[in-house]
Amino acid sequence: MARWGMVFDLRRCIGCNACAVACKQENSLPDGVFFTKTLSEEVGEYPDVTRSYVPTICNHCEDAPCERACPTGATYTRPDGIVMVDRDKCIGCGTCIVACPYDQRTRLEPEMLDKGLFGDGRLTPFEEQGIGRFTVGTVVKCTFCHERVDAGQLPACVATCPTEARIFGDLDDPTSRPRQLILERRGRQPLPEKNTNPRVFYID
Amino acid sequence: MIASNRIADGSFRVGVGLQKAWGVQMATAFFFGEAGAGLYFVAQFFDFVLGMTVGLLMVLFGKAGGHVLHLGQPLRGWRALTKVRTSWVSRGLAAIVLFIVAGALHIIDVRAGLLPAGVSQLVAALALAACFVIMIYQGFAMSHSSAITLWSSGLMPVASLTYALLNGVLLTLVFGFGEPFLADRPDTVRLLQVLAVALMLYGLVTVLSLLHGARHASEAGRQSVALLLQGGFARWFVPLVIGAGFVVSALMMLAAPPDFAWMLAVAGLELTGYYAFRVLVFKAGGYDPALSLAYRFRH
Repeated sequence: MARWGMVFDLRRCIGCNACAVACKQENSLPDGVFFTKTLSEEVGEYPDVTRSYVPTICNHCEDAPCERACPTGATYTRPDGIVMVDRDKCIGCGTCIVACPYDQRTRLEPEMLDKGLFGDGRLTPFEEQGIGRFTVGTVVKCTFCHERVDAGQLPACVATCPTEARIFGDLDDPTSRPRQLILERRGRQPLPEKNTNPRVFYID
Repeated sequence: MIASNRIADGSFRVGVGLQKAWGVQMATAFFFGEAGAGLYFVAQFFDFVLGMTVGLLMVLFGKAGGHVLHLGQPLRGWRALTKVRTSWVSRGLAAIVLFIVAGALHIIDVRAGLLPAGVSQLVAALALAACFVIMIYQGFAMSHSSAITLWSSGLMPVASLTYALLNGVLLTLVFGFGEPFLADRPDTVRLLQVLAVALMLYGLVTVLSLLHGARHASEAGRQSVALLLQGGFARWFVPLVIGAGFVVSALMMLAAPPDFAWMLAVAGLELTGYYAFRVLVFKAGGYDPALSLAYRFRH
């Protein structure tokens, strides 16, 4: 069984946010909901200043605090390591949101689904086809595009990234590209002090 | 230096993000949970039926009601009982259910004497144990969240217990004023007053230690404490939580004459400070940035 993970190459990311757009399109995400974001920051002091980009996503942690904190068992980890939310079990208490150190979960509020992209309450055809995937009041997050992964495809953000800054693969396979990149370029996990053992690594 | 440590607050910038999942409804539920359970806990030692009843109703309608209002899918709320082994929220709900059943039975038993002696003691012990869990579990539920530095402290359950006991003592002095168990025993009133002052001092030290620990733990903790003591929330936190909730109420309690209005004023000030603490600690809770090159550069 594969153990899926992702590597972000910070040298390659140009902050175009094509990943975020692809993700929203693939998952029909309502306005204001993002499963992935590319954050930016200025680093350094004038005149030696540069802008860096930090892609963020659910880290599908090995020891997921969201799963431990969930009082209903709605959050669970698949055998391949993808952390999922069962929307039929989720009660929308938000405990997983405050337990996730990476702030990667969103509770779907009624206005997110009702107001529509243009804010007038009318849904576009794109929104209408996607709304059935969501239940108001439940929590949503990135699933590594599990349907695509199950079909042997790459997650939408990875397939779209124009600079190949996102590398997806089996972390248990010593020959996989993410595994090799982690070893060769000393991949590091976000907030390792939280002891969550993320399956997402950063290299620079 | 353009630092990364400012509060990003939902933008596409690296920085500390404030949590928004738990807000005023959750704070209100926590408030009623600790005030109601504290009142019941102290009242049961005196077999003070009015106090026990009010405490039980506060937990039933205030706490449970607040949680139901907060839930995104309230009709599925019962599912929160299914993960008692790992989730503090689940443990808390189990304690609430047990407390409401055992507490109500105990109150009826104290009034009507229906239960045999052994069963009566068992029910009383169960109610007290469940009540104690409610007094403390909210602190564990928050400190369990390593994501938010301000909350992730071993002192959070201590703060919960201290506040709950303090609320219980003050509300017992208010609701029990003129009742025989206090009116006939001035030494008991004095004891409760001294206990209240001691708990206020202990609570003040606990809250200050909590802030001190968070300030030195991480960037998010530093920003959270700055928000509470110097930033946008300082105009509420300092006068209400520290001033009214601890300092002024302790001084008033020390000088308290045996007067109902005075007790009511002290309890009102302390409860106001406690509610402000719950709301503001929720609002000031922040996440550390997952990765910040500027932060690494600076350090």
